[in-house]
Amino acid sequence: MSRHSHLLLALAIVVAMPLFMHSGSLASEVLIYALAAMGCNLLLGYTGLLSFGQGIFFGLGSYTIALLLTRWPLPMPLALLAAIAMGAAGAAVVGWIAIRQRGTYFVMLTLAFAQMFYFIAYSLPGLTGGDNGLLDIPRPSLAIAGHTLWPLASPWQYYGFVAALFLVAFWLLRRVCDSVFGRTLLAVRDNEERAAAVGYDLRLLKLQAFVISGAVTGLAGALHAMMTGIAPLSNAEYHTSEMIIVMTVIGGTGNLLASVLGAAFYVLLGDWLSTLWPRWLLLLGVVLMVVSLGLQRGLWGLGESLWGLARRKRPAPPAPAAAPSANGGQA
Amino acid sequence: MSAPIASPVLLEAQGVAKHYGKFVALGGVDLKVRANTVHSVIGPNGAGKTTLFHMLTGTKGVSGGRILFDGHDVTREPDHRRVRRGMARSFQVTSLFLTLPVRENLRLAAQGVAPGAALNCWSPPVGRRSCADTVASVLARVGLTRHAGTPAGNLSHGQQRRLEVGMALAARPKAIFLDEPTSGMGIDDLDDMKRLIQGLKDEHTVVLIEHNMGIVMDISDTITVMQQGRVLAEGLPHEIRADERVRSAYLGNMITGGKA
Repeated sequence: MSRHSHLLLALAIVVAMPLFMHSGSLASEVLIYALAAMGCNLLLGYTGLLSFGQGIFFGLGSYTIALLLTRWPLPMPLALLAAIAMGAAGAAVVGWIAIRQRGTYFVMLTLAFAQMFYFIAYSLPGLTGGDNGLLDIPRPSLAIAGHTLWPLASPWQYYGFVAALFLVAFWLLRRVCDSVFGRTLLAVRDNEERAAAVGYDLRLLKLQAFVISGAVTGLAGALHAMMTGIAPLSNAEYHTSEMIIVMTVIGGTGNLLASVLGAAFYVLLGDWLSTLWPRWLLLLGVVLMVVSLGLQRGLWGLGESLWGLARRKRPAPPAPAAAPSANGGQA
Repeated sequence: MSAPIASPVLLEAQGVAKHYGKFVALGGVDLKVRANTVHSVIGPNGAGKTTLFHMLTGTKGVSGGRILFDGHDVTREPDHRRVRRGMARSFQVTSLFLTLPVRENLRLAAQGVAPGAALNCWSPPVGRRSCADTVASVLARVGLTRHAGTPAGNLSHGQQRRLEVGMALAARPKAIFLDEPTSGMGIDDLDDMKRLIQGLKDEHTVVLIEHNMGIVMDISDTITVMQQGRVLAEGLPHEIRADERVRSAYLGNMITGGKA
């Protein structure tokens, strides 16, 4: 029921973007960051874990695909799989250590990993290109035995490829969220103490959430590197983690489509505002404050509240003005 | 009353101690809980009841002593493992999954007995995985069938306290640990809770911490009185009521049925 309607909505977004947008790269970027934000949402919205390690997994995906496509000319699909695996492996390491603590110290551990990863990447120019990053990443067509199935040269061709992967990932993540595992994560998010008392091994659950999140984020990082042709040091930076978290929070936690919305909002607004005013991130700060203060279910929650209001044709007099912010606030 | 006393020992604590630095919260407690009885632990605030509870359920580790449950030494096992052995607990302060419906709370509690299944990230919890029978029977038992779809956070306090007990029941445990199940309850809810606990000992063993002496005296098979981290007395309710040490120590008029 709801599962299919969400998948259809995701499909609608994927189909609609080429109709309304002029840049295939921008559209691809939306979906790529949507992947990363969904990975973050699995941790933040479903498990209650605020991870600043997302940039590590993103960066690992970027570096992996860059190295595999430039130095060991591997078939592109295999290189993508390797990037996903690296993202997952990185997440397993970060998760394995970080979930030993809760709350602030958990966040600090992920932050420490993020800083370490940045400086390791910076100080290994032989592998990562250091400050310059890895350049001239090719974007080979999707081919089997020499037959080109899907050329990826133009931005819109590449968008099609990203969109297909996005839909598969979205479907898989929906499946994860609706599974026994996903539903148990919600219990961990709600009340760790009770979840442990009821019999769950919180570490295993959190670790698995981390690995899945890392895999998706690694895929996003790889697709980003293929899109831009470079794997810059900034992809591995703490700022990338921050950006992914901001997208997730603005969209709304606990719902995958909300992450797509958050990523689209961030990327498109950023694209538009940056042409008007180079200090546009300042305005983003204002948006983030509004969400944090009164709209904790994010843009998605706002949409839901408005939708609810619209369907209830004549609500009681005091309800209309107060409802959106009040609903957002109590979630 | 004599039949349950003869039943086998399900849970045994041998010299269980807990120190926090120099502070001795528990100074070597021995306890034998017999199967299918209601065994209450009472004592003034700070007597170490809740600490003993944490030791027995594995929420916190012991500083010394042993805990045997159902023939196994569980002293070093964390709480989630003891659940698999057949222990389940309710909390003194209501601890539920507040945003999730009552039914989902109980399903999660029932599923916790086989926690490996929780790593299944492919199949939704339907059919066999929904634990529907257990959930339905617990819902009926704690009287929340009508509220199955309500988020736990929207229940009244009395309902939340009953769900709290239901969470422990859903694991279908051998032993159920209730930490002040009536805390903060109104008079109307008290009788419901009393009947609920009394009905448990057909299928379960109940270890109860409770401040309401009326309830304790009515439903307990055995009462252990604690004071300053040690066992002061143990016996049948009428023995405890008559015990001079208990009287002079602190119970005073509490024993006649007053409140905590």
